[in-house]
Amino acid sequence: MISFLTSGFFASMLSFLAIYVALTVILHLQANVAGVVNFGIAGFWGIGMYATSIFLLRFNINFWISIVLGAIVTGLIALPLARILLNLDGQAVLVGTLAFASIVENQIFVNREITGGSRGLGTIPMPIDVGPYRFIVYGLVVVAFVVALILYAWKLKKAPFGRLLFSIRDNELLSRSLGKPTFRHKIIFFAITCGLIGLFGGLTAPLHSFLLPMMVSPTVTFTAWIALMLGGQSKISGAVIGVLATEFVFFYLLRVILPLPAEAAQMVPFFIYAAYGLMLVLVLMFKPTGIMGGKRRGN
Amino acid sequence: MSACNTCKDTEKTGVLHIKKAVKRFGGKTVVNVEDIRIGTHCIEGLIGPNGAGKSTLINLMTQKLSLTEGEIIYYRGDEAINVSSKNLNTLAKLNLVRSNQIIQDFASLTIVDSMILANTDLRHEKFYKLFNDKEVREAAQEKIDFYLDYFHFDFPEGHALSAGEKKLLDIIRCLILNPKFLLLDEPTAGLPQDQSDKVIDLLQKKTAEEDMCVLIVEHNLDLIWRVCDYIHFMADGQILIQGTPDEIKGNETVNKKYIGEESNA
Ligand SMILES: Nc1ncnc2c1ncn2[C@@H]1O[C@H](COP(=O)(O)OP(=O)(O)OP(=O)(O)O)[C@@H](O)[C@H]1O
Ligand SMILES: [Mg+2]
Repeated sequence: MISFLTSGFFASMLSFLAIYVALTVILHLQANVAGVVNFGIAGFWGIGMYATSIFLLRFNINFWISIVLGAIVTGLIALPLARILLNLDGQAVLVGTLAFASIVENQIFVNREITGGSRGLGTIPMPIDVGPYRFIVYGLVVVAFVVALILYAWKLKKAPFGRLLFSIRDNELLSRSLGKPTFRHKIIFFAITCGLIGLFGGLTAPLHSFLLPMMVSPTVTFTAWIALMLGGQSKISGAVIGVLATEFVFFYLLRVILPLPAEAAQMVPFFIYAAYGLMLVLVLMFKPTGIMGGKRRGN
Repeated sequence: MSACNTCKDTEKTGVLHIKKAVKRFGGKTVVNVEDIRIGTHCIEGLIGPNGAGKSTLINLMTQKLSLTEGEIIYYRGDEAINVSSKNLNTLAKLNLVRSNQIIQDFASLTIVDSMILANTDLRHEKFYKLFNDKEVREAAQEKIDFYLDYFHFDFPEGHALSAGEKKLLDIIRCLILNPKFLLLDEPTAGLPQDQSDKVIDLLQKKTAEEDMCVLIVEHNLDLIWRVCDYIHFMADGQILIQGTPDEIKGNETVNKKYIGEESNA
């Protein structure tokens, strides 16, 4: 048992699940609390991941400082994007952020002197070198970051700023007529939360140890959205449950229970995404507010 | 009811000076007001037939819409503010506050939360301030108690359910902002008679005792005659006649363009 808990498999599972929980919780804050439909998560996450690795490898900056710098870079890039997009309607924001993410993927591919392009960027070592335990120790650090994020989200929703964000999501003009500078708040909050996505992108870098542009694909975005919709959009616990019901069950649990022959393994992700789609349809049919969702509030 | 029936101490309340204000949608001129002052009395009325441009004028005065031509100056004490240089939210912070003709609400906020939101100072609403909700609630408590006690909602910790409750809440939120100039677009439409009377009583009390003046847009003319000190009559985008209730009541144009129609209908 102990040897399983300290194994690389367990540590990697724990870390990746934690990262996905973080992305889904941030998405919950953006989409369900502030009402900003962000379909560019992969882009911000990728900027954080690459920026952190570039600071670390090309400039020899300490990993933890690189992560903070990566988050700041992500937030600063999100800021002008927010200025352009956030006074447009929801569909425009969706398309705009999705397009932004594919620009990011493309830029990583093209700017090979900095990002390594298709040859990749690496190797990013585990930042806490405690011998064989370095994987699980790092995994626990990632979990600690995620717990801090969840506490922040939970507190924020009950704080005056959370109330303000809900009012903006519900009825922005009415909120403005009460004197609230809603546009400014939306921009700042979007940039801050995108910075957080970048932070978790930075934390992902050592898990991949070698970065490739294709990692920054929309799959990351869709995984977070599906987890959010499955888990339920009204509570933070929905984000956690949603990730467990998708990533954990399909990528880890089923693999342990049903070991497939190696030649079939390549096909597995395709079946998994089909299964996600099916689950999503079923949840939307039978419990449209998600697994943890309450009753839909009538207007 | 008070000494201010004739003229208000406009040093302290707000006054709006509308100069050649024009609003066009496409080619259609919806508002075309020459030169008038609003807010020189405690409670003024703005009346006129459907489609006259009353709500549009309120939207122009509060920058929910921007002017096509002309200007509107908001005198606030000795400040002269060109409303075109501000926007909806900054004007609200300058105590120029408006309610809505079409019911507006925050679907996810309870009645109490909605009042707290209105009362919360901007400096408390920061993404890094997580532990100040108690302070913010306490700051609003006195007002919340007053309004809940005065108007009586069935479930103040729940959501405003009926149209009447939402309308009432809209007006309460406005009052919580401590307006110097309050623009009410059909405040009593959809309210039960007793609540509507309470709103009017409260407005009369507040305008008499505090530095606040009110402009009411209404089709309920009995109410207009009863509470307004001064009335602006609007038709086809223009302010055609202004005067005291008695002057307006007897006016031929008003009768022809509006009151006659109303009683025929
Ligand atoms: N956004 C808009 N685009 C085009 N026309 C508009 C728009 N808003 C209002 N109008 C037109 O402007 C005119 C005035 O509308 P407004 O709502 O100001 O009237 P009102 O006096 O408030 O009427 P009511 O008493 O029915 O509320 C109407 O003819 C309306 O159709
Ligand atoms: Mg109207």
